[in-house]
Amino acid sequence: MAENTARDAGILVVACVSGMASGLFGIGGGVLLVPFLVLLFAFEQHRAQGTSLVALIPPTGLLAFLGYAKAGYVSWRIGLLLIPGVFAGAILGAAVAKKLHPRRMRQVFAAAIFVLGVWQALSAWGG
Amino acid sequence: MILLILLLGLGVGVLVGLLGIGGGVVLVPAMVYLLRMDQHLAQGTSLLILLPPVGLGALLGYWKHSQVDVRAGIICAIGILVGGYPGSLIAIPLSPRHLKGLFGCFLMLTAVLLWRKRQPQKVPTSGQSGEAASG
Repeated sequence: MAENTARDAGILVVACVSGMASGLFGIGGGVLLVPFLVLLFAFEQHRAQGTSLVALIPPTGLLAFLGYAKAGYVSWRIGLLLIPGVFAGAILGAAVAKKLHPRRMRQVFAAAIFVLGVWQALSAWGG
Repeated sequence: MILLILLLGLGVGVLVGLLGIGGGVVLVPAMVYLLRMDQHLAQGTSLLILLPPVGLGALLGYWKHSQVDVRAGIICAIGILVGGYPGSLIAIPLSPRHLKGLFGCFLMLTAVLLWRKRQPQKVPTSGQSGEAASG
């Protein structure tokens, strides 16, 4: 029981950190949660991903969103157009994930994200 | 233009289901580069997209294979909700240039985290493994 409480407390701390990133960068936070659950809490990869999706069901970004909305940083039209595609695509992705051994896939994604990150940082600060 | 946006959503959605993430990490750069949005606007719009349960269909897929720890998921949701607000307070007054650069550094960090392999069955001293604590 005490062990479970310690684990829950640890997960809460990690989730708060993911939440900070969520507000700071306008993301869901799952991209941090999944590796944290796997690396720090010994979750199996698929289980970490399923659990991360639970955390993304309630509008966890609401407080952060209100901050951006108040400052006028929301494009409603494009946002609303993107929602149906993301929803449908996610079902497709989950179906594929069950069949895949996802490590290779994850590494391809990580490589793409890394390149994207370098590009963003360079275009902001380089030149 | 509308077709491009719909297709972009679909592509991001596949990654959501495949990787169990929210998708914002791809949505934000895609909106900045493909739709020419400014960094703050892209981030706010990404948060709007993530308000409805876009991952619900994907979650059901994982659920059927009992790959879900509901208890941990709920704890994570609380943490993200609480952390999100201070995060936005930091981001909003930042200059778009620095925010964009920071976002780039953040992407590199997440890439490193994602790349790392699962630790070979090393159960940490504190707490049980994910499999033991079923939801």
